Amino acid sequence: MIRAGQGPSDGRPLAVYSKENGAYQLQGIDARASALGLTLAMSLADARAMQPKLEAVEADPEEDARALDNIAAWCERFTPIVVVDPPEGLFLDISGCAHLFGGEEKLRAEIVTRLQAQGFASRAAIAPTPGAAWAFARYRREPSPPQGGGGEDLAEALAALPVDALRLDPNAAALLRRLGLKTIGQILHAPRSSFTARAGENAMLRLDQALGRTREALTPRRPAPPVFALRRFLEPVFTADAVLQVTQDLCGDAIEKLDVRGAGVLRAELVLFGVDGRDRVIGVNASKPLREVKPLMRLFREKLSIVGENLDAQFGFEAARLDVVRLAALNERSRQLVSVEAAAANADALSAVVDVLSSRLGAKRVVRPQLHDEHAPERVAGWRAALAENKASKPVEPPADGVQRRPVRLFSPGQQIEVMASVPDGPPIRFRWRRVMREVVRAEGPERISGDWQKRERTRDYYRVEDKQGRRYWLYREGFYGETETQPRWYVHGLFA
Amino acid sequence: MSPRLASFSSPAGGGGAERSEAEGVSPANAGAAPSVSFADSSPAGGGARTFAGKLATMAGQPLHEIGPAGAGFEAAALGFTLALAASWAGPAGVLWAGEDAAFAEEGAPYPAGLAQYGLPLDRLIVARAKKREDALWAAEQALAASGAIVICALGAQGKPLDLKASRRLLLFAERYSSRCLLLMPENGPSAAWTRWRVAPAQSDAAPDELGLPAFRAELTRNRGGPAGAAFTVDWNAHERCFSERAVARALSAADTDGPVDPRRARAV
Repeated sequence: MIRAGQGPSDGRPLAVYSKENGAYQLQGIDARASALGLTLAMSLADARAMQPKLEAVEADPEEDARALDNIAAWCERFTPIVVVDPPEGLFLDISGCAHLFGGEEKLRAEIVTRLQAQGFASRAAIAPTPGAAWAFARYRREPSPPQGGGGEDLAEALAALPVDALRLDPNAAALLRRLGLKTIGQILHAPRSSFTARAGENAMLRLDQALGRTREALTPRRPAPPVFALRRFLEPVFTADAVLQVTQDLCGDAIEKLDVRGAGVLRAELVLFGVDGRDRVIGVNASKPLREVKPLMRLFREKLSIVGENLDAQFGFEAARLDVVRLAALNERSRQLVSVEAAAANADALSAVVDVLSSRLGAKRVVRPQLHDEHAPERVAGWRAALAENKASKPVEPPADGVQRRPVRLFSPGQQIEVMASVPDGPPIRFRWRRVMREVVRAEGPERISGDWQKRERTRDYYRVEDKQGRRYWLYREGFYGETETQPRWYVHGLFA
Repeated sequence: MSPRLASFSSPAGGGGAERSEAEGVSPANAGAAPSVSFADSSPAGGGARTFAGKLATMAGQPLHEIGPAGAGFEAAALGFTLALAASWAGPAGVLWAGEDAAFAEEGAPYPAGLAQYGLPLDRLIVARAKKREDALWAAEQALAASGAIVICALGAQGKPLDLKASRRLLLFAERYSSRCLLLMPENGPSAAWTRWRVAPAQSDAAPDELGLPAFRAELTRNRGGPAGAAFTVDWNAHERCFSERAVARALSAADTDGPVDPRRARAV
C-alpha cells in the first residue's frame, strides 16, 4: 500500500510489483501508470520496456497487512465491529450506527473522504449483506448503493456484475467464464443442480451469502461487545470535564440498553477517538454487575483522573464509544441491594470500594486473603484479586487458647540467620538476624513440616521463639543435624506480632 | 458499666451513637469506666486508669495513630493495630491499605496468621499502593464505606505525614462513622485522637511456652485527656479482647475474697 504523497514527486508513474510464478508482475499501479497503458499483472520487464521512467517498488505484504490493520483500527470510530478482509478489504457492520453520521450514504462518503485525506484511495459500498457490499465496492460503476435493498432489488443489482464479484478464487472465476457464465445474473437464472460440481458449489454458496439466503459469520478485528454506545461530537472535545460529561452520557446509553436485557456491567471500556487518528482505551472492572450510572461513573472518574495527563488530547477527540465487554445477568436480589439497601449493606459498600481501588491501584494490588488445602507454609495461604468473582474465604476461628501458631507476616523466601548456639535437634539459644544478636528466652517446637519430595524440598523443623524483649519469631531449621557434612541452615520465616 | 461494654462490642453500625457517648466523656471520668480501680494500674496524672477504660473511649473516636516504641518493634505496633481492628471489626470489614515500603520490610501479610489473630478473613481487603498519596487515598476511599475499619500503614521513608493528610483521614472517618488506625513510625503533628507507642512484652506463660501476643503500649498523645499512661496487655484473639496484666493480677488476687467478675476488667 502506497500512501499518496509518498510516491515519486517528479511526476513519474509508480507501480508495485511482486514475484508471481517465478516472474515479477505488477500488483498495483497508480493513475499515471494506468494512463500510460500499464495494466495489472503485466510483467515488470514489459512495463519497464514500455515506460523506462517507471518507478517500481517491490510489494511488502507484511507492511500492507499492518497498514490495513491500522485503517481498520481507525474505522472503529464508526462502529465497534470491523472485520479485516485481507489483502485490501474491510467490512464494517454499521447496524445502528449510521444515524449518528447523518445516514448511511453520509457515513460512506465520510469514510471515503477521510481516508482520501489520509492518502488512501478507497471504494466503499453499503449493502444488506457482506457479500453484496464486497461486490458493489469493487465492481459497481456508480458509487451509490441501492437503498433498503430487499431480496429482489439486491438480486437485480447484483445480476449485472461479473462473476468475479462473488469472491471466487481466480481459477473458479476463470472456469465459470469459460463455461460462458460471465455475469452473476446468468448464474442466478441457471438451474441450480448444474452447479454442484467443482467451482460451481462455491459460487452458489457465495451467491447465497451475497443475497442473504445464507448467513455469513465474519470475525471482527476485536470481539464485538455485547452492548455498546457510540457518540460523536460536532466539535472536537478537549477538556477533561467534557470527556467526563461524554462518558456519563455514554454510561447512560449503555445502562439503558443493559436494563432491557436485565444485565449489569462487569467490564466496560471507554474508547476515545482522537482527531489525530489515535485511540485511547480506558477500561474499568466491577466486582459485581453494575446497573446504575453512578457507580460506573465513579470508576471512570477515578481512572480518567489518573490517565488524565496521558490522554494527550492535543487535537481533541471526535468520537467516543463505551463498550460493555463483559456483562452479567442481574438477579432480583442484586438489583435490590444496589438500589434500595445500598446504605444498609456495609459489606457491599466495601466491595464498591474494591472496584474504585482496583481501577486506580491495579487489580493485583487490591486483594483478599485465600487459604488453600496445602501443607507447605508458603502455599497454604495467599492473596487473590478482590475484583475476581470468587467465593469468600470461610471464616476461620482463632485457636481456643488464643496462642498464635502462625505469624502475621511471612518472609518468602525465609531469611537466613546465624545461629550462635543451639542444642542439637533443639531451638537456637542465640541467633543473629539483621545484624542484631537476639537472646532466645522461650521456645516452642519443633513442628515438623515435610517438604514436597517432588520439588526436592527438605523437611523443616519449625520453632516459635521469643527473645529477651518479647519479640517473637517463626524459625526453621532445614534438614537434620548429622544428615549431611555441613551444619543445617536456620531461617526466620515470619514474625509474630 | 455494662451498657457501655455492650456498645463497644456492637460492631461499627452504631458508630454515631458510640461517638456521641464517647465524646461526651470528660477526661476526668474517661477512665472511670470500670467500677473497680487499682492503685498499681493508675498512671500518674489520672486520665484513663485502666486499659479497658481507655479502649472504651477509643472505640468511639475516629482516628488513632500507632507506631513502634523503638527500632525493631514494628511487628508489635502492627500486632497492636491488628488487634484493635479485629476487636472492632463489624460487618463492614477491615481494609488494610499501605504503601509498598510498609509491606516490604517486615514481610508480607500472611493470611494463615491473620486468621489466628482474630481478623475476619472473609471481610478483609488489603490494598497496596506504590506511593504514599495513593495509600492515603485508598484509606480515604475505604473510610467512606460507613462502619469500615481502615488500617493505613505508612513506611518509614520520606517526609513525615503532614497534618493536612491526617486531618483528611479524620474528616472522612468522622463523616462516615468509620474508624481509621494510622500505623506509622514517625512522630509528626497529627490530627489523631490518640497516639500509641508499642513495644512487645514477654509472654505471660510457663517458662517453656509462648503465651498470648503481648504488648507494652504507651499512650503518648491523648486528645481527650492526659497522656503518658502505659499498659501491659495480652491479646486474646479467640475472645477478641485485651486483658490488662495489672488488672488481671489484681483481680485474681481479689478473687479469693471479693465477688468481682473478672470479665469486668476486659475490654472488648
